[in-house]
Amino acid sequence: MALSSIRQFLIAILSQAAKAESMGWLDDQIARINGARGNMKLFLAFSQASRYFSKDTFQLTDQQVAAAQELRPGFQPSFWTALQTARTVLVLGVLSEENESWMPTLDQLFESADMHELEALYAALPLYPFPEKLKKRASEGLRTNITSVFDAIALNNPYPSEYLDEPAWNQLLLKAIFMQRPLYRITGAEERANANLAKTLVDYVHERWSAGRNVMPELWRFLSPFVDQETLGMFEKVLKEGDELDRKAVSLACFHGKGAECRELLDQFPDHLEAIEKGELNWVLVGKAFDSER
Amino acid sequence: MMYIDPHIHVTSRTTDDYEAMQKAGIVAVIEPAFWLGQPRTKVGSFQDYFSSLVGWERFRAKQFGIVHYCTIGLNSKEANNEALAEEVMELLPLYVGKEGVVAIGEIGYDDQTPAEDKFYRLQLELAKEVDLPVMIHTPHRDKRKGTVRSMDVSEEHGLDPKMVIVDHNNEETVKEVLDRGYWAAFTIYPHTKMGSERMVEIVRQYGPERIIVDSAADWGISDPLAVPKTAALMKEKGIPEAHIQMTCYGNALEAYGQSGQMEEKDWLEKEPIDQTKKHGGNTVLRGGQKPRVDNDSSNIIEN
Repeated sequence: MALSSIRQFLIAILSQAAKAESMGWLDDQIARINGARGNMKLFLAFSQASRYFSKDTFQLTDQQVAAAQELRPGFQPSFWTALQTARTVLVLGVLSEENESWMPTLDQLFESADMHELEALYAALPLYPFPEKLKKRASEGLRTNITSVFDAIALNNPYPSEYLDEPAWNQLLLKAIFMQRPLYRITGAEERANANLAKTLVDYVHERWSAGRNVMPELWRFLSPFVDQETLGMFEKVLKEGDELDRKAVSLACFHGKGAECRELLDQFPDHLEAIEKGELNWVLVGKAFDSER
Repeated sequence: MMYIDPHIHVTSRTTDDYEAMQKAGIVAVIEPAFWLGQPRTKVGSFQDYFSSLVGWERFRAKQFGIVHYCTIGLNSKEANNEALAEEVMELLPLYVGKEGVVAIGEIGYDDQTPAEDKFYRLQLELAKEVDLPVMIHTPHRDKRKGTVRSMDVSEEHGLDPKMVIVDHNNEETVKEVLDRGYWAAFTIYPHTKMGSERMVEIVRQYGPERIIVDSAADWGISDPLAVPKTAALMKEKGIPEAHIQMTCYGNALEAYGQSGQMEEKDWLEKEPIDQTKKHGGNTVLRGGQKPRVDNDSSNIIEN
């Protein structure tokens, strides 16, 4: 991944969405930052970008979406705003692939950032050089209670599934479930499902049910690779007592789960099986349906 | 009617207060950086405080349908720890350019010491450099002299009075502050500063021009509803509606709107207050907590 080509790409999509005057301001700031000693120009420009760029997300062409994917697999700027893109352009401009001398500057930006600035900094995690050095930063970010900051790391971002170790990754998933975030937008979620996470989720389901509360239907996706007697019991209960979306989700978990018992459960719902085979029932659709119900 | 409380330390207030403020018609608040009761001893405490003013507190307010702005500055009390104050001064440029920072403040005098004077002047220069309004805290003790001196020094540094809001005025200071072209803010704070009845008489006597009402509610015995309550009292006592609108809403918007960081559309166009909205997030509400959209009083605390 070449830092400069990513940066050029961001400037290109930004200039389509932003006013010429705003791009002029950005060029001017880049020149000032390059000519200055110390970081104050960078910090001011990073903050003041909010005066020149909107918080509207991009409308990208299919080619642009594909180009982003080619530059950095998993990178999805169609979820980005003009403002965060401008901020990322400024930050990438002071980084280097040669050495890590810029790390303290990036730390300082993180430590003094406001909410929208944090969103920009965290969403760009997959674009920074030396990504393995930013694992602690990513875990720290996930401890936030601000939904949009959590989302910037957790959703449509390839960094966590590529770099977080299992405990940190499982925290991300568990917290996303607590906060009822759309799990289908977590990049690489299925690939990184694991037995420890499944055990924790089983406990979580018990806790929720004891309290007379429901769980989000996407949760069952992460139990399906690790089906045992206990999970089968849970599946049965939901298929009996859950609402339509919950039952569809459990059917889907049974479909992807191993073993004859899963199949037997699914056989009780031939309409679900048919929908799955026709592509009319999958995890993305379950997630979207749950999102729109709320 | 819509109200703005242009001086309130909501960091110290509970979610009950936020709910009550929203119900009473407060659409926006300005939280000036100030002293926390406990003196800070490390520059990191200031940094985290400033970060919370532009971060967490803003997010928290939004969940109750209130738009939160702030002012950034080194308060006069803590300017007296000079070594620390120097470090804080280096921190300020990191924050003053941020979105929603509507002034440098609250700055000015407390004991009126040489150290306070030094950092007040340095921050007036900073305000000029970044073209932001200034919020002046006038002292509790020796108020008249402190207020006059705040204005003299501000003029010495070439600030335009229309960019300066002088806060915590009383009957003894208001005339000169207005005559010299400044915004005159009044803090309705029980026992120490001003009661709402006196405020009504001041508006009756001086009219609504450049007069601003605020609560400065904080960690002390104070009232986060001081602005809407004073507005109600003005109405009761026959102050014209237009004058109430100016002193409890319009003037604050005009004065701090000069920052370019505060506009009426910020609250007129915001999404409806529905904590279930994805964008609003639900993390003051933890976990799967059921968000409250409406309030009915009962002994049942929602599961």
